[in-house]
Amino acid sequence: MSVATVAGRAVTLTRAGSGPPLLYLHGLADVHSAVEPEPAPPLLAALAEHAEVVAPALPGYLGSDALGPHADVEDHAFHLADLVDQLGLGAVTVVGASIGGWLAAEFALRHPDRVRRLVLVGPLGLYVPDARGVLFFGAAAPRGVGGLGEVRGVLFAEPDGPAALSALPDDLTREQSLRWFGGLAGAAQLGWPAPQLCNPKLRARLGRIGAPTLLIWGPDDQVAPVAQAEVWRGGLRDAQVEVLGRGGHALTLEHPVGVARAIDSFLT
Amino acid sequence: MNFFFFHLMPWPYLPPPREFLREHEAAWVTLSNSLYDPVRGVDLYERYVDELADAEELGFDGVVVNEHHQNAYGMMPSPNLIAAALSQRTKRIRICVLGNALPLWNPPLRVAEEYAMLDGLTKGRLIAGLVVGGGPEYYSYNINPTEARGRFREAVDLVVRAWTEPGPFSFDGEWYHLPYVNPWPRPLQQPHPPVWIPGLGSPGTIDFCAERGFGYMGVAYYAPPESFARQAARYWESVERAGKPVVPENLGWLTTVYVGDTDEEARAEALPHLAYFAGNLAAGFVGAGKVWMPPGYIEPEALVQFLADLRAGADRRKRGPDALFDAYPMVGSVETVREKLLEFVLQHGIGTVLALLSFGSLPADLAARSRERYAREVVPWVRARVEDARATTRSASPPSGP
Repeated sequence: MSVATVAGRAVTLTRAGSGPPLLYLHGLADVHSAVEPEPAPPLLAALAEHAEVVAPALPGYLGSDALGPHADVEDHAFHLADLVDQLGLGAVTVVGASIGGWLAAEFALRHPDRVRRLVLVGPLGLYVPDARGVLFFGAAAPRGVGGLGEVRGVLFAEPDGPAALSALPDDLTREQSLRWFGGLAGAAQLGWPAPQLCNPKLRARLGRIGAPTLLIWGPDDQVAPVAQAEVWRGGLRDAQVEVLGRGGHALTLEHPVGVARAIDSFLT
Repeated sequence: MNFFFFHLMPWPYLPPPREFLREHEAAWVTLSNSLYDPVRGVDLYERYVDELADAEELGFDGVVVNEHHQNAYGMMPSPNLIAAALSQRTKRIRICVLGNALPLWNPPLRVAEEYAMLDGLTKGRLIAGLVVGGGPEYYSYNINPTEARGRFREAVDLVVRAWTEPGPFSFDGEWYHLPYVNPWPRPLQQPHPPVWIPGLGSPGTIDFCAERGFGYMGVAYYAPPESFARQAARYWESVERAGKPVVPENLGWLTTVYVGDTDEEARAEALPHLAYFAGNLAAGFVGAGKVWMPPGYIEPEALVQFLADLRAGADRRKRGPDALFDAYPMVGSVETVREKLLEFVLQHGIGTVLALLSFGSLPADLAARSRERYAREVVPWVRARVEDARATTRSASPPSGP
């Protein structure tokens, strides 16, 4: 990991591989938001086989500075534009999962010239009243006793499977707890205002995204239900949907091979 | 020396803790309000308001009402309504509203207005609590918890300026913009009613109170009393550093109190109702299981410490029901409670004791007996000795602490 300074703010970065630049924006529980940042999770390693992967920790996560009071989704999109410019990445492929998928879409519609292709894995951000997900922040309320079972149950199709238990174990060390709660605070600053983890204006703006888009979904996603996939596809100009055979919201952790394969065939 | 009667107006009709926690994760936010019975609620309001009004005759210096939302912990989402009722039932005692969670109001100017009304209605007996609001409130009202501290500090400034600066003036802050601040009425007490702020021990809150001359009320009743020692020391150090006068009444301590005939009888009578308070009503707030503490409401370091304290409490309670008295020690005969309270008050320079006398599911008759014993036999005894001790200290040494 390294630290870049973007517009005066620290951004924790993971970089790997070589090839065309690929910006990876993590989700609520994968990659940087998981309690242990290293080793980088399998999906990043797979993507790095064909690309120069740049994976920033979103504001609040893993020591990346928060964007300051009043920062909303627009400021997050500008922040990503500043990052891409500063690293001299030019036009990039953007892969975003969960909350990172939301930010990827917001970035793409504001900066079409910087996005070649877009991959959204179980993205949040779209307000679909008749296919609302479970209330993530409520499920993530901490416990004095009893571990992280509830939030694992919301994020993973197999909450007691190895991927879930390794990403969010019950007995966190102090350092791990600080990372987890710091990341949640970053997600809350962006996503707490109602409707939570959504931008109600996004749906009407989807048509501004010109980049070819792949939507990857887990059939058991409780946070962004798979029924939302069709709404994304209907709003985007050039989109295809791939629903994997199984998996929940933390799809990149539960099924990194399936996600990597879908991305590979989309990009080549 | 202040002795206040603190009321939470608890809902006493949930199943006992073990049974309750099998079916419900918490008494906050998501506990279905279908469990609230409005008819029983009428009787409870009558009982609780009577208890508070009777505090005057019993010789208390004041009463405290409290604000929480969407829970069985207390039936007082709007403490100002209860304070208004009490303003017409009492003549002498102070009425403290240790509520009005400023970030829940937009604009918080409304709090300046309602407190000015209450100060008029009580003829200057109001103590104005200004509070951040508990963690669960941020879920219940969907207020962004990462903005809680910033909004709170700024709203405190707005309220105090609204009381003290001739209006109209414009307020331009980071969070609130009001082109015309000019509230009618203004408070009777000048320059403004005393301000008390409750805290669970955050050093930032303690320093803020000390620097601004506000009362700091330590309300972490669930923690072993020793943890209050750190808070008290910090408060008096900060007061000294800020060069503010030492006002003992500005340091308060919240504790449950039950006074019985003998220690054994008191413990036996209080135990199921304390267990209900700690096991049922605090579940979801400061209990051991799910805790409605939103991200960004406090710093991650403070959150990790808070959860560790709750875990330690849960471990202690596993030793047996009696371990409950480690965190709730003011249970016993008149003599026991007198001595424990006097020692604790003197040790930490406490000037305001906030006694939670109708806790959990404590029935009206037991509550009345304990309250009368406390008011008639414990309070005057402790008061006389504290005042003597402080007079001696003051004449013997220059003022550095109470």
